[in-house]
Amino acid sequence: MSNELVPVLTKRWLSPNSWTMDTYEQLEGYQGLRKALGAQPDQLIELVKASGLRGRGGAGFPTGLKWSFIPQGDGKPHYLVINADEGEPGTCKDIPLMMADPHSLIEGCIITSYAIRANFCAIYVRGEVLHCIRRLNAAVQEAYAKGYLGKNILGSGFDLDIVVHAGAGAYICGEETALLDSLEGRRGQPRLKPPFPATSGLYASPTVVNNVETITSVPYIVLGGSDWFRAMGTEKSPGPKIYSISGHVEKPGQYEAPLGITLRELLEMAGGMKDGIPLKFWTPGGSSTPLFTAEHLDVPLDFEGAAAAGSMLGTTAVQVFNETVSVPWAVMKWTEFYKHESCGKCTPCREGTYWLTQILQRMCKGEGTAADIENLLDICDNILGRSFCALGDGAVSPITSGIKYFRHEFLALCEKNAEDSYEAFLAGASA
Amino acid sequence: MTLAADKNTDIVVPDGHVKLTIDGAEVVAPKGELLIRTAERLGTVIPRFCDHPLLEPAGACRQCLVEVEMGGRPMPKPQASCTLTVADGMVVKTQLTSPVADKAQAGVMELLLINHPLDCPICDKGGECPLQNQALKHGRTDSRFTETKRTFPKPIAVSSQVLLDRERCVLCQRCTRFSEQIAGDPFIELLERGSQQQIGTAQDQPFQSYFSGNTIQICPVGALTSAAYRFRSRPFDLVSTPSVCEHCAGGCATRTDWRRGKITRRLAAEDPQVNEEWICDKGRFAFTYTTEPDRLLRPRVRDAKTGELRDASWTEALRVAAEGLTKAKEAGGVGVLPGGRLTVEDAYAYSKFARVALGTNDIDYRNRPSSAEELAFLGSTVSGTNPEHGVTYGDIEKAPAVLLIALEPEEEAPGVFLRLRKGNRKHGNRVFHMGQWTTPAVVKTNGTLIPCLPGEEADMLGRLPSEVDELLRRPDAVILLGERAAEITGLFSTARELAAQTGAKLAWIPRRAGELAAIEAGALPTMLPGGRPVTDSVARAEVELAWGLETGTLPTAEGRDLAGILGAVANGRLAGLVIGSVDVHDLPNPELAERALDSGVFVVSLDLRESSVTRRADVVLPVAAISEKAGTYINWEGRRRPFPVVITGTNRLPDCRVLDTLAVEMDADLFTQTPAAAMADLGRLGHHTGNRIPAPSVDAGRPNRPGQRHAVLATWHQLIDHGSMQDGEPHLAGTARPAVARLSVDTAKAFGVADAALITVGTDRGSVTLLAEFADLPEGVVWLPSNSTPATVRTSLGAGHGALVTVTTAANGAAS
Amino acid sequence: MFDALKGFGVTFGTMFKKVVTEEYPEVKKIPAERYHGRHQLNRHPDGLEKCVGCELCAWACPADAIYVEGGDNTEKARFSPGERYGAIYQINYLRCIGCGLCVEACPTRSLTMTTEYELADDNRQDLIYTKEQLMAPLLSGMEQPPHPMRLGDNEQDYYVKGPELAVSMESAPFADSMETAPLKEQGK
Repeated sequence: MSNELVPVLTKRWLSPNSWTMDTYEQLEGYQGLRKALGAQPDQLIELVKASGLRGRGGAGFPTGLKWSFIPQGDGKPHYLVINADEGEPGTCKDIPLMMADPHSLIEGCIITSYAIRANFCAIYVRGEVLHCIRRLNAAVQEAYAKGYLGKNILGSGFDLDIVVHAGAGAYICGEETALLDSLEGRRGQPRLKPPFPATSGLYASPTVVNNVETITSVPYIVLGGSDWFRAMGTEKSPGPKIYSISGHVEKPGQYEAPLGITLRELLEMAGGMKDGIPLKFWTPGGSSTPLFTAEHLDVPLDFEGAAAAGSMLGTTAVQVFNETVSVPWAVMKWTEFYKHESCGKCTPCREGTYWLTQILQRMCKGEGTAADIENLLDICDNILGRSFCALGDGAVSPITSGIKYFRHEFLALCEKNAEDSYEAFLAGASA
Repeated sequence: MTLAADKNTDIVVPDGHVKLTIDGAEVVAPKGELLIRTAERLGTVIPRFCDHPLLEPAGACRQCLVEVEMGGRPMPKPQASCTLTVADGMVVKTQLTSPVADKAQAGVMELLLINHPLDCPICDKGGECPLQNQALKHGRTDSRFTETKRTFPKPIAVSSQVLLDRERCVLCQRCTRFSEQIAGDPFIELLERGSQQQIGTAQDQPFQSYFSGNTIQICPVGALTSAAYRFRSRPFDLVSTPSVCEHCAGGCATRTDWRRGKITRRLAAEDPQVNEEWICDKGRFAFTYTTEPDRLLRPRVRDAKTGELRDASWTEALRVAAEGLTKAKEAGGVGVLPGGRLTVEDAYAYSKFARVALGTNDIDYRNRPSSAEELAFLGSTVSGTNPEHGVTYGDIEKAPAVLLIALEPEEEAPGVFLRLRKGNRKHGNRVFHMGQWTTPAVVKTNGTLIPCLPGEEADMLGRLPSEVDELLRRPDAVILLGERAAEITGLFSTARELAAQTGAKLAWIPRRAGELAAIEAGALPTMLPGGRPVTDSVARAEVELAWGLETGTLPTAEGRDLAGILGAVANGRLAGLVIGSVDVHDLPNPELAERALDSGVFVVSLDLRESSVTRRADVVLPVAAISEKAGTYINWEGRRRPFPVVITGTNRLPDCRVLDTLAVEMDADLFTQTPAAAMADLGRLGHHTGNRIPAPSVDAGRPNRPGQRHAVLATWHQLIDHGSMQDGEPHLAGTARPAVARLSVDTAKAFGVADAALITVGTDRGSVTLLAEFADLPEGVVWLPSNSTPATVRTSLGAGHGALVTVTTAANGAAS
Repeated sequence: MFDALKGFGVTFGTMFKKVVTEEYPEVKKIPAERYHGRHQLNRHPDGLEKCVGCELCAWACPADAIYVEGGDNTEKARFSPGERYGAIYQINYLRCIGCGLCVEACPTRSLTMTTEYELADDNRQDLIYTKEQLMAPLLSGMEQPPHPMRLGDNEQDYYVKGPELAVSMESAPFADSMETAPLKEQGK
């Protein structure tokens, strides 16, 4: 094992019955909460600001800053909403986290709610992961029983209720405003921004929406302090991060490492490429982030590094593909996903994904032409930045990056088509 | 640097405004204005589909993308100008100057079209379709889309009136947003997602809304069509004429489109002060009654030999009518019942005809339950109402509190209902409904019900909750009275008192379109035109002077009102009747009316269609329908709503012309040959500045109390019911609210009908049997729709609002 | 002198040339297949009318010779597949200039032109052809509308299956009066 591995969020995962209250409390569980309740809420916000913690859901927005946007003393209730609607292809960090260590999330929720003066917190979990919802519910009940939730938590006078809410299987509900609409019982479609959730979120009240991993990091920061946190990772992207490595590697799984690690190092930890077949392409953070190739092995995987290399850190869902995989085929499959998951609200995403899928399916059948590639790029250009939310942007990144690095593969499909039709033409002539 | 500074000071930015640059031109815009509107004011039309000025922004279609620079930094993505509000120092480049915006718009256009069927040649919208226009202006000439289009089966009926063609839909959500935000009837919603996303209704829950037709009009493509207009015509075949709705006292601006001598459709016209851009379905679809087979086209005269009506020439019919009326005038007098749906011009002709040709004040336009108290109220308070001094739609929207008494806004004044809802949504005003149950309108205006027994309204005004009283004392509070007020003793008087005490503005909103016009024209037994009391000699002299009459010609005594006229006819004191479009079944006592008509009296009927009056008349004179004549309505605000002839060249005569000619036959001159002449003649009278009819002062009546044997009836008309002006439009009738009898669970138990599906409400006259529905009515009160069943409240029960009725389980189990 | 003989020469020479005179009406010339003659309103193979009353022909007509009024098909009386049919259809041959724009405009291939060119009469009234005169004759297998849809459940079935059925009928002896022009074009 490489020395780079830093188990922080994942440190209890291998303990027996790691998900129970007993195990959690033995392993300094709810210590951060006790400490936090002794502090002023604003101190906590300052602490998180100082730690440099950035959102782990993909966008990397500074968490402390987000909390400080919540207007205080406005007389409205405040809400904390945890985005656990983990649906991005390749992303599988939050669900294992909630399975293995649900109490760390709950502790994070309590501290965060205390910091932003919220008395209600909803955890919006993807509906398909019923096992995870059960475990979270059980953990919430345990926390209620122990007095970590409910009225007058640990005698601090602070009240908090947590509700675990199951989504109904829509990728778009991972978008924070769509998630809020869905949570309110409406159709899950993104809202107009502004107003932003910080001022008008759940039930038109100030709301913080954070990713599971972000909130889970909070108790550790409270316990360890911002300097300890900043010691890991890079200047602008501090802290540890769970990298979910999947695909053609010997040992796929969750690898917690400081931000800024490279794929080369991650691959070493994961036992290298499966069966030694060379790497062809990979995603740094799920299918919505533009592809990388073998030449990007040494790109530091933090927010700045990934962006500088033309992609995004996303959810650090590292999907690794070896040379047996056809890029157009993979891109086609991803695009099918986006077509299926487009909410339909805006034209570019709804119609664009519908069109892109059909072109890619046709190309993969060998019926494409070189003009189709240009059409694909042009359609992508008409979707990127034109859609209502980021789903449309995510949908085109595999296509544009796929064509950027592997245009020859797309062309090869078209050539086959050209040859076929030429042969057919000859056959027709001779007949 | 200095130059730039100088340039910046060129334009003075008023308070609450910002300065921005659009396509290089500096423009000042009020804060909060959407960019798309600012650009429009500048003359730059940014294409859009989902944007609608009266709906909240959605940003769904993405057609209106522009490039925006804020504080010198360009925004990374093109922005939807329909959702972005203007900001100081914003630099905007529209499609005119920005290649990026232009390409973005072209790209969205192409994407919108890939799944849009090539229906244009057979689509109703073709020719007035924003998508078609935009595609022709900016679209590609050839399609790059060679894949399979998404298809849906052709139209599904979201209601009997509105058909949805999902293939054509661009999912702009205008219809769903309208239904949710404006009408408050969110019965259509988006279903499914992604490319399968579509508009739809819940299973077995059709799109039931009185305003559903507006969704058809605001649909930017041909996805929503009306069953009545679908495939009937193309926009460019039609002749469009501005018109005014004749159905209620709202005076909504409409546009009537016709072709080959027939009206094909009616649309809402824009009038920000009155109906904004909306009209109700009745106004939109109920126009076929003028082309029903029973339309009168030729004059008829009762044949002396056979006693039957036969077609006659105008010359003959007018001669017979004039002779008969002259005789009747000498034999005791002639009463005039013009009806409540006339234009000012026509009502004026009736008024003048009664005074000049018949020499009587026996004229009453009120073909509905009415009272002497009401007459005094109309003379003292309503006559002379105008938007400058009275209550307006805008006042209702901005009022901090509105108290509605005996008025069911959604059913009786839909335009008022929309304003109430808008006022509540936009300004948070409070709406109080004094009525019997929590009607949909109470819910949709976010209102508060002040429950009371039917007939108890006047009494209740003295016992208003302190909160209401307090709110009414705020500046600009409004009290609205409905037509039903005439059935409640003392209500007009107490409402006037309340208004005086609190300082709230008071307005009266009748149901029929012609009421205010008839009051202005003096079609009442106590009033000459302009609210001049007939008993006032100065007022009479004014009129005599203007009409060129000799002094002392005008009758000096107050005339008989509706009941008085009919009673006098029935017992032979009056020998003749001139009746306009009056439906006997609308009258408070249809039996008395029929008895009067059958009493051998000489009847001249001016009507549109055959009715129980024309069948009994001695002379029937056909008159022009609203679309065949010009005229002026006066809406409840007192606002004049003039309209031109829609269908030209029909040669049908308006009432004023018929009466003018009839008067000439009787040696009197009305000078109302045309509506314009009538209006000019009325105008010569000028405003009345003298004495007015004194205000009523009637104590609040004692309402009927429910007992063990009797319940108290509450009743009003539903918007879409069996009214004869909705004939011939089955699709509209299909959207009527189901006719049910409402009562509370306790009442049902008390009368032993709790388990009965059908209940019978009866009087000694007859009964009405209906499905029962439980609602929060006061104990002992049962509610019936006035005219939604073959057996009506007036004709079958001979009863009205506040009457005592019996409630029993339906005997034979069949709804009547 | 010489010129006069030259004239006779022309006359004489003509005697040996092919006669160009047409012996109409004794011998009726058959015009070209795509001659713009009298219009015809075609039928679907089961006899239902193709006209949907859309009035595009009337719109296309530069001479304003066509008058159409559409009507609603009902469950009881169905004249065409789909929602609407042409209830009134008139072509005024006093105005018609035979340009064929109406045929191009027709979205259902209901309106085509026959090769019939004998369009003369002694009064104006008779030259306004009504729907009855313009409808294509009923061929075998066709049924006089109104009748229910025989070829499918909705109008789409008619347009999907219609061409095949028409081809199979083309091989039948009565094919000449079917609307065949577009199919023949496709064949070429």
